[in-house]
Amino acid sequence: MKPSFIALSAIIAAVGIVGMKKPDYVKHVIQSVSPANEDDLAARSSRLSQQQPAFQAVGERAPVFQEIKRPSEPSLDTMVTAATASTVDESALRYFASQGDAARLQAEISRLKALYPDWTPPKDPLAIPQNEDKQLETMWQLYSQARYAEVRKAIAERQAAEPAWQAPADLLDRLGVAEARLRLINASDLKQYETVVRIGAETSSLLTCSEVDVLWRVAEALYWTDKVQRATDAYSYILNNCQNAAERLATIQKAADLLPSRTVEELLAKEKAAPDGTREFDSIRDDLARRFVAEANADGKIVVPPQYVSRVERLAETGGLASDALLLGWYYLPRGDMEAAEKWFRRARDKEDSASASQGLALTLIDRNAPLEAENVMYRWRDASTEAKSVYLAATANLLAIDPPISITAEVLKRIAAEVIKSRNAATAQQFGWYARALHQPQTAVQWFKTALGWKLDDEPSAYGLAVTYLQLDDRKGVAEIQRLWAGRSERIARLGEEKDASAATTEQLPVPGETVTVRRKIRPPAQATAVSDEPQDYRETPDVIVRPRERMSVATARGCRTTINPETLSPDAALARGWCLMELNRPLEAAAAFEVALLGSPKTREDAAYGQSLAYLRAGLASKAAVSAVKSPQKRERALELQKAILADKAVAAFDAGRPRETLLALDQLNQITPERTDLLALRGYAYLKMKRYGDARRIFEALAAIGNRDGQRGLAIINEIFHEND
Amino acid sequence: MMRKLLAALLAGIFYLSLQTVPAEAQQPMITTEAWQAYKTKFLDPGGRIIDDGNGNISHSEGQGYGLLLSVLAGSQADFALIWTFTRTELLLRDDGLAAWKWSPGTKPHVTDINNASDGDILIAYALGLAGQQWSRRDYTTAGATIARAILARTVFQNNGRMLLLPGAAGFSASDREDGPVINPSYWIFEAFPVLDQMAPSPAWGKLRDDGIALIKELRFGPKQLPADWVSLKPSPKPASGFPAEYGYNALRIPLYLARGGVTDRQLLLRLRQATSGVNDAITTVDLHSGTTRTNLSDPGYRIVNHILACVVDKTVLPADVKQFTPTLYYPSTLHLLGLSFVAAKHPECL
Repeated sequence: MKPSFIALSAIIAAVGIVGMKKPDYVKHVIQSVSPANEDDLAARSSRLSQQQPAFQAVGERAPVFQEIKRPSEPSLDTMVTAATASTVDESALRYFASQGDAARLQAEISRLKALYPDWTPPKDPLAIPQNEDKQLETMWQLYSQARYAEVRKAIAERQAAEPAWQAPADLLDRLGVAEARLRLINASDLKQYETVVRIGAETSSLLTCSEVDVLWRVAEALYWTDKVQRATDAYSYILNNCQNAAERLATIQKAADLLPSRTVEELLAKEKAAPDGTREFDSIRDDLARRFVAEANADGKIVVPPQYVSRVERLAETGGLASDALLLGWYYLPRGDMEAAEKWFRRARDKEDSASASQGLALTLIDRNAPLEAENVMYRWRDASTEAKSVYLAATANLLAIDPPISITAEVLKRIAAEVIKSRNAATAQQFGWYARALHQPQTAVQWFKTALGWKLDDEPSAYGLAVTYLQLDDRKGVAEIQRLWAGRSERIARLGEEKDASAATTEQLPVPGETVTVRRKIRPPAQATAVSDEPQDYRETPDVIVRPRERMSVATARGCRTTINPETLSPDAALARGWCLMELNRPLEAAAAFEVALLGSPKTREDAAYGQSLAYLRAGLASKAAVSAVKSPQKRERALELQKAILADKAVAAFDAGRPRETLLALDQLNQITPERTDLLALRGYAYLKMKRYGDARRIFEALAAIGNRDGQRGLAIINEIFHEND
Repeated sequence: MMRKLLAALLAGIFYLSLQTVPAEAQQPMITTEAWQAYKTKFLDPGGRIIDDGNGNISHSEGQGYGLLLSVLAGSQADFALIWTFTRTELLLRDDGLAAWKWSPGTKPHVTDINNASDGDILIAYALGLAGQQWSRRDYTTAGATIARAILARTVFQNNGRMLLLPGAAGFSASDREDGPVINPSYWIFEAFPVLDQMAPSPAWGKLRDDGIALIKELRFGPKQLPADWVSLKPSPKPASGFPAEYGYNALRIPLYLARGGVTDRQLLLRLRQATSGVNDAITTVDLHSGTTRTNLSDPGYRIVNHILACVVDKTVLPADVKQFTPTLYYPSTLHLLGLSFVAAKHPECL
């Protein structure tokens, strides 16, 4: 007991004094306690870089030894020597026993044994004679009830009354240790880890097997103050010295919560075999393997020792738990082993279909360009979560984007359309537009592109699709209106019709920051669509369902607002109608002026007018004005929220386009407060981080996106990797 | 030679001024009865001062006041009690400062790990006094550690002035749009010489001088009063996010000035006049309009203006202010601080 007792306190004390060389005896015991060698150290993470490499000090002189602040406690040797001359004060034992506090009784016995090796604990602690000194008796009683402040008070009171009286050293000593223990636990609960380490270093007598909770807390504090090796040493200490089986098991579990799997493996080697041959940590090896694999699910770069992966594979094959197969699927997916991932996701679904298994499978299917099956797999689970929904929608967008288009049954098209409309998903709506074009249904395409634009004002590909389709329909006005709206924002729209150049339409889609799902295809020139004209039957059967135009907020028809009138001559209600009418014609600035007049009307009119004006400004790309309009009249909660979301999203995009990523982040943060971040905006956040050179943050975002199969995520990761590659 | 003499003379003055601190404190400046009444109402048996006006929570300020009052009452036992609680329950931060807020009903009890600089100053100051008065090296050592942490974490230079952040986090120029933000009632002037003794630094003297100069300059609104919370960016104004008022924080500024030995007649009279309400009450003031927010008639608040009258004109305190009867934690604490000051420095006003 004794050598290791000193050893741990020396380890803790050593880290409390950063940059000091260790005295020889400390070096010696550190060597004896720690299994680590220098190769190990070299391989450890950079968390350790600020820390003094204790092991390098071996063999060197220790020139500043005298300056080391010793722990305030007398050293163990002194205490043992002192004890031989005095009797052991057993008062505390009686109090703990009288209160039935077995844990603290045992802790006190261990403590006294450590201090006085020749001492034998009394058979019956209750029989320990009472102090004749009643006041001292009260102090011990308060001590045993953990009322330490009151003990201090009682001591001071007695000293004031009897100046010659001295508190017994034993009482003061134990009080000091008990207070230190309390402070250490309080500091640990509050994550004040430097305080925990400091107290541990100053109070070596707390660091014993009878205070294993304190040891755990010190180990944890060492870990969080970037002393990973010391934390490992503390866990090793427990496994080398402490016997309580439950505590040993808990030690491994706690160590595994913090330490990398390789280090945990070293600690597991300290396990003991029972006489019957069973090993004490067997019960948690399976769980540990599952946990390591699960942790690696979140991050494709985490390396899991192969024996853990194969252990889980064995469990999945023999145990028949869907959850084990699922773990493996999500383990292989971010590592790019799609074949293995698909195998395990299928296995998991066979055992028990679930949203997670279906999502995983759908992602592997999208990856190998089988979106039809992906749609089918995900349909049942599309409403399970926002993630499930985006995987489903990704499958639909990819399905419609297959080039050349494939035949899709009416039933499937119907359900996709219903889902797209329900979730107002611009990406798939846009693909419906291209799909309709490919199947020679330009009118249908127009409606889908318009719908997509209604949901996503800045969706340039939809605007382009709309313009191309208008051109095909020879709707010159329609083309001109789109060109006017997108002037300065899209070159290909501006140049449309200038020259009848089909190649312009075949250029690859420009990356749009804010794209929900990037689709792996080129924009289809009309000429290509003829190639598939023999397959449109299925689609033709259902145009009514698919093509159902989005709900409009129109109050008046387009009739009657084409002429230019000064809206101030109108009544508020008429101005409101005119405002909506102008919105229909996509003349947002005039609409805003009309709504301004309508703001003078009844509360109901005013509310609608403010809403309309916000939408108008949003459409005109004037988000800040929209924000002002939104507060001109109190809006219904949903409406207000919807406006606010649209305004903030628009702000974020506009700021990004204007090269102000910091403002983009600000707007996104605000948006985050009111609604979960949409995938497209998450990508925008990633790009904003990228612009600000916050590569770590950008990587985190893109990794998350890539994990759900998002192309922006993969593209962003590629950019980051390139940057770091160039810097190499 | 001349220089050497001067140095010796200065050292002598410094030494003498240090001597006065324990000498004063040796005579209990708070009567046994008053202290007993205070303890019964606000001191939990486990050593925490209860803020009964604030949901019975405790905080570093209250613990600091409790420690200071124990010293002034000459009660070593109560000091030991309150200190043990403070040390084990609040003095837990990595940087050596105290967590400011402790709630009886939560686990962990500390519900905000941030510090409050006035609490830290009071605790360190009381430890310094106790260490001297009762020759307790452990108290002085603990006080010195806190004093060094105060210097390191909250004392800072701004535009040539030595200032105090109200907390280590949340108030600096980098933490707030309108930062730095200060609280002028966190300058506990009497503490700085004791802190300087434990953790010697020229910053303490400058902190005191610059604090007094700053308080003289903080004249907001028609009543020309300082605000509880002041933004210094770019020039002093009531800080955003706080009520622009001379409130419960600021009303102790005159008490701290007086206890800290500031006798500037013009300043003290100006503060007294601007905060005098109906029926001898003192007032909190809306700084924009200059109107009274609250008339405070508790003798614990009223003693503040009577002390100013005592310091400048030797006016005797009214009978109900001389008498201590505990009411609520905060005014009662100010009351005892006020009474102990008059007893020590102006017995003629009693």
